Amino acid sequence: MSSAAESLPARSQRRSVNAPLLLLVGSVALYIGVALATGQSMMLHVEGIVGLLQRMVGLGIVAVGQTFAILAGSIDLSVANMISVAAVLASFIMQGRPDMMLPAVAAVLAVSAVVGVVNGALISRLQVNPLIATLGVGLVLQGLLSASFTNFAGSVPPEFQAFAYGALGPAPYSVIGLFVLALAASLLLRATKFGAHLYAVGGNAEGARLAGIRTDLVTIGAHVLCSLCAGLTGLYLASRLRSGAPWVGRDGVYDLESIAVVVIGGTLLAGGRGGVWGTLAGVLLFAVLDASFNMLGVSAYSKLVLRGAIVIAAVAAYTFRSRDLVA
Amino acid sequence: MAVSGPLALEMAHITKTFPAVRALDDVSFACLRGEVHALCGENGAGKSTLIKILGGAYHPDGGKILLDGRPVAFSHPLAARNAGVSIIHQELSLLPYRTVAENIFLGIEPTRYGMLDRGRMRADSQRLLIRLGASIAPDADVGDLSIAQQQVVEIAKALAIDARILVMDEPTAALERTEAARLLDLVKRLSGEGVTIIYVSHRMPEIQAIADRVTVLKDGRTVMTAPIAEASTAKLVRAMVGRDLADFYPPPAAKPPGAPALTIRGGANGRLAGVDLFVRRGEIVGVAGLEGSGKSELGRAIAGDEPFERGTMEIAGKAGVPRRPREAVEAGIGRLSEDRKREGLLMQQSLRDNAALIQRAFAPSLGPPSAEPMTVGATDDRLRRLDVRAASFEQEARQLSGGNQQKVIVSRWLARDPEVLVFAEPTRGVDVAAKAAIYKIMRDLADRGRAILMISSDLPEIVGVSDRIVVMREGHIAGELPGGAGEEEIMAIAVAHDEPAEAATQ
Repeated sequence: MSSAAESLPARSQRRSVNAPLLLLVGSVALYIGVALATGQSMMLHVEGIVGLLQRMVGLGIVAVGQTFAILAGSIDLSVANMISVAAVLASFIMQGRPDMMLPAVAAVLAVSAVVGVVNGALISRLQVNPLIATLGVGLVLQGLLSASFTNFAGSVPPEFQAFAYGALGPAPYSVIGLFVLALAASLLLRATKFGAHLYAVGGNAEGARLAGIRTDLVTIGAHVLCSLCAGLTGLYLASRLRSGAPWVGRDGVYDLESIAVVVIGGTLLAGGRGGVWGTLAGVLLFAVLDASFNMLGVSAYSKLVLRGAIVIAAVAAYTFRSRDLVA
Repeated sequence: MAVSGPLALEMAHITKTFPAVRALDDVSFACLRGEVHALCGENGAGKSTLIKILGGAYHPDGGKILLDGRPVAFSHPLAARNAGVSIIHQELSLLPYRTVAENIFLGIEPTRYGMLDRGRMRADSQRLLIRLGASIAPDADVGDLSIAQQQVVEIAKALAIDARILVMDEPTAALERTEAARLLDLVKRLSGEGVTIIYVSHRMPEIQAIADRVTVLKDGRTVMTAPIAEASTAKLVRAMVGRDLADFYPPPAAKPPGAPALTIRGGANGRLAGVDLFVRRGEIVGVAGLEGSGKSELGRAIAGDEPFERGTMEIAGKAGVPRRPREAVEAGIGRLSEDRKREGLLMQQSLRDNAALIQRAFAPSLGPPSAEPMTVGATDDRLRRLDVRAASFEQEARQLSGGNQQKVIVSRWLARDPEVLVFAEPTRGVDVAAKAAIYKIMRDLADRGRAILMISSDLPEIVGVSDRIVVMREGHIAGELPGGAGEEEIMAIAVAHDEPAEAATQ
């Protein structure tokens, strides 16, 4: 069988372009270009850049979670509602009292985890389509929340606001937190069994099952991580807004935007391929677009148009690039 | 029959009933350690049910399974895997975007301090691949490998769990001849190392070449278990279908062929160069060639899927190169893709919907709902005429056997009745009886004045069915042989080199 020596076919060079890197370079270039062109060079100083990174935090945290769901071949449409629930729950429990910070955070994380288990179990055990399952769970969450609260509920103590406003030297805690979270997520995906199994379930669920992987547990795990990240985003928003209101998640369009940045970052919507750093690059691109439009003084509505166009262009570009692979 | 040596596996009196059908009826099946045991039978004979029971995917209603003399009961595929039973399914279950090492150790990843031990995965994969005589890089993405290399990765995956019983389900179905030969070598070597191999295949020459013993299932029962020396191909076919091989291939053309229905001159595109070809009414032209020779690309080009960019075509007397599948169909060309699942069937839709697809594609958008493509009468007639066997024509296409699926696709084209029909790998994954039926359909079409182009990697099929054989190599037609030419002659043309200098050094 030594004649079996075969060299790899030439098409193995197809991934010569690294999508996250390309996005990163492109976003940075766009930001610098717009700042220089509009003569707002202070945007390139430390405060400007910190401001830019701070724009990433809210969407960034939930998008890291969404990456897990999508990599597993699933999707989570309930994150926006989960964010509202988390923000309201946190500020309602705290009522401005520092000693209630820990119980509030614990309660938010526990509720998030339960929502993740419910999502994951609906999808993997009851075989409900992920779009429908998470849409339904999201509606239920929103309904319960809106029935109980109509406005800002309670408040968070100043100590808790440090999450959003505090800083270590020039670097805000929130930005550091986002990158630590991304690093941990990337490590989980790259270096653990759970990560390997997540890619397997997203890439070929039946193949993974036949290899002896408990695919249902993997799917549930991915959704728990996704919901926990949404819960964290809710805590961050409560800290930044100093209170939680039942519309903060929906207003941020965190459900669709988190899916958009994951896909822009090169993760296959079908699952099985992609990663966290691409997602962060996608979040950076959105933050740069926001900042650039502000510098250019363009209306918020044209911003939406451009975001939509970019999502479509990115997916089209990825599909085009991988066509010979699929065919 | 005397069985010598220790039994690695014994499945005794296995019974399995599904709601509508008794799939296995008191089947007994035993393998010696290190033997290659071929398992044959038509689709629906019960092979896959038996294998799924062995693999822990199904539970038997009755009977017992003994591994090395110890009774076992698998509740989950994982349990079978842990007991050393590994099954390589026909549709490979590899992850294209993950590396070779990640695939080999899927589900059994080694860890160190809770983290994946990638170094060990890589080194162990390398060791397994070298043992298999393959030079595949553990860090390569599986999606970049050829099908043959992916098969080797599947086998390495089995060795990684120390499989003592390896089930291979039609492993050579998608392989070229030389690749298949290498795989067979590998199978022999593994059995020499003491691995018991259960080899499921429709290919008689392969079974004759590597099996030590063979078991034939028919209608859920064991009809024969014998050493291979006592099981000639004729005897095996008879056991499987209950009739003789002589009836297997269709008779030659009833009358001499007519005028060309398809003529290609200088056809070329990115994958093809200088293709000159004609197919006459009333003849079946077989197209042979290795993988990458351009034979499937030829079918795509003719059908306007990946059209010719240069050259001329004449279809039923009219000149013009179809640029899209729709143009090709309008010009009078039909093509049955080699990949029924991906390019042929609407898996979740009924047989009727599948059979009416082409007609519906060309039906007027605002036609009355009582018009033919929307009703069942004529569609059902065609399905019946082709002897499509299903519980009901409302059954979903995915529930049918390969042979019946192929017949449904043929019936779809019959409704349009094109001048030229291109059959790509018409009997891939189709059982023996259905094969004979499909050959007969092709011959009947030719006798009715249609021109048939049959693209196939199955040489006995090329030899047995074609009136004329063209052999492709490196994107062009390298030679032509009369019907009935030997497989060796075909291979000689298929593997030759175009540069004489290179050929001389061989």
